[in-house]
Amino acid sequence: MAHLQLHSVSKIFDDGGRRVEAVCPLTLGVERGQIVTFLGPSGCGKTTLMRMVGGLETPTSGRITLDGSELAGPDRRRGMVFQSYAAFPWLTVAGNIRLGVKYRRDLSSDAREATVQRLLTLVGLEGFDHSYINRISGGMRQRVAIARTLAADPEVLLMDEPFGALDALTREHLQIKLLDINRAAAKTTIFVTHDVEEAILLAHRVLVFSARPARVLEDLDVTARLGPGDRTRALRDTPAFLELKRHVQSIIRDEYMRAEPGVVADAG
Amino acid sequence: MFGFRTSLPRRIEVMLGMAGLLTFLLIWHLMAISGWVKEQFLPTPSAVVQAFGRLFTESGFAGDILISVGRVWFAFLLSVIVAVPLGLLMSCYRAVGAFVEPFVDFIRYLPVPAMVPLLIIWFGVGEASKIAVLWMGTFFQLVLLVSDDTKRVPAEYIESGFTLGASQWQIIRDIVFPAALPNIVDNLRITLGWCWTYLIIAEIVAASSGIGHMIWSLRRFVKTPEVMAGIVAIGIIGLLTDQAFRLAHRRGFRYLRA
Repeated sequence: MAHLQLHSVSKIFDDGGRRVEAVCPLTLGVERGQIVTFLGPSGCGKTTLMRMVGGLETPTSGRITLDGSELAGPDRRRGMVFQSYAAFPWLTVAGNIRLGVKYRRDLSSDAREATVQRLLTLVGLEGFDHSYINRISGGMRQRVAIARTLAADPEVLLMDEPFGALDALTREHLQIKLLDINRAAAKTTIFVTHDVEEAILLAHRVLVFSARPARVLEDLDVTARLGPGDRTRALRDTPAFLELKRHVQSIIRDEYMRAEPGVVADAG
Repeated sequence: MFGFRTSLPRRIEVMLGMAGLLTFLLIWHLMAISGWVKEQFLPTPSAVVQAFGRLFTESGFAGDILISVGRVWFAFLLSVIVAVPLGLLMSCYRAVGAFVEPFVDFIRYLPVPAMVPLLIIWFGVGEASKIAVLWMGTFFQLVLLVSDDTKRVPAEYIESGFTLGASQWQIIRDIVFPAALPNIVDNLRITLGWCWTYLIIAEIVAASSGIGHMIWSLRRFVKTPEVMAGIVAIGIIGLLTDQAFRLAHRRGFRYLRA
């Protein structure tokens, strides 16, 4: 049985009496330690799907189970990293990470402090522990948010376009950093993005979504295609990677053509 | 110096502020000595300064100031103690908001001076009615301001809290309150200013002490310099309180600065 299992999960929003279908009924299993990216056009419903896994939205139909037990509202088992860096400005870097261990009853106070120090090192923020959030860069803020989420030791890590607001160089740096973190933490992860390269580089498996309402167009086993080795920057230039990237791009292009024929034609 | 939307060195800003004040005093002085306006209506600035001194030495003005400041702060803190928790709950629990908002909105639009006769019938002419006037004037405004400040806390902050395993109470204490606090303190500063307005009204209508009472009783003897000195005193107290709040805000919320 998969670690995280979605059984015919769907979402219909009520927009002032008008029913807007955001997510088509979807059944999906994610294995323990597997990193899955949800790739799709903006506003397609992939974020809504992930928020349902996090318990921040209620599915209109279907069930979500973790280790076989049904999930309802949000709790510590599913940690979330948002695109808008939700690191708290009134706390220092260390203070933010400390908030992640604060609500854990499974740790002694010594173990909590040790966890905070270990995570500061893991995300590369040693020496910034006393800095306030407004004094550090966007990339560092997002590392604080990631460390804080890991501090709560969730079973599933949910990341909603966490690098979407960062400049290209910082984004690249954090992608590599996240690969390091994943090696150390090995969490079951869902990572939402609209960046094809990012989706492939970070994942064991890529789900390509249609335009709204979200439907899985293709479920790609990245590990099988790229091999089980470590992901690095250099991997992006290998023929296998480029081939996979072209394949994904063509799926997305066809989908756009189907959903909004005029737009793609105009864009040439 | 007249760069469009540029900033100025602190020293120049202070000097310009002083110059503005001096210009005002100079025009006032010239008008008073020119004979356009009778001295009875417009005494010179220096006459007001002398009256200011007399108020303290002859009329025990310090005691009045102390009483007025005491009333303002007592009533203000009384409304803060109730308004801050209630405002937080109103925004965190829609049911509380829906229950309280229409009533608060109704009271909020009643002019407080209109309530004074009723409050005097209820509470007499003692301290209680003055505290009630001030409390009415600030509480209903403050509770909505706090509720709005709390509503502006980003949803991601609260959702992060839930996914870290915090309970609703822990989220209010550890996330919602500290996130809204800088804006709440700013609104406290503004509300305290209103409190002074209502205090003077309350003291003019029914009081035997306080700055408002002092000004009102001196009016009967047409002691214009003393009346103006009393008004200046209110201005000075207001300015000092405001600056103290601003300083506390800067010190307390250093982390807001990049």
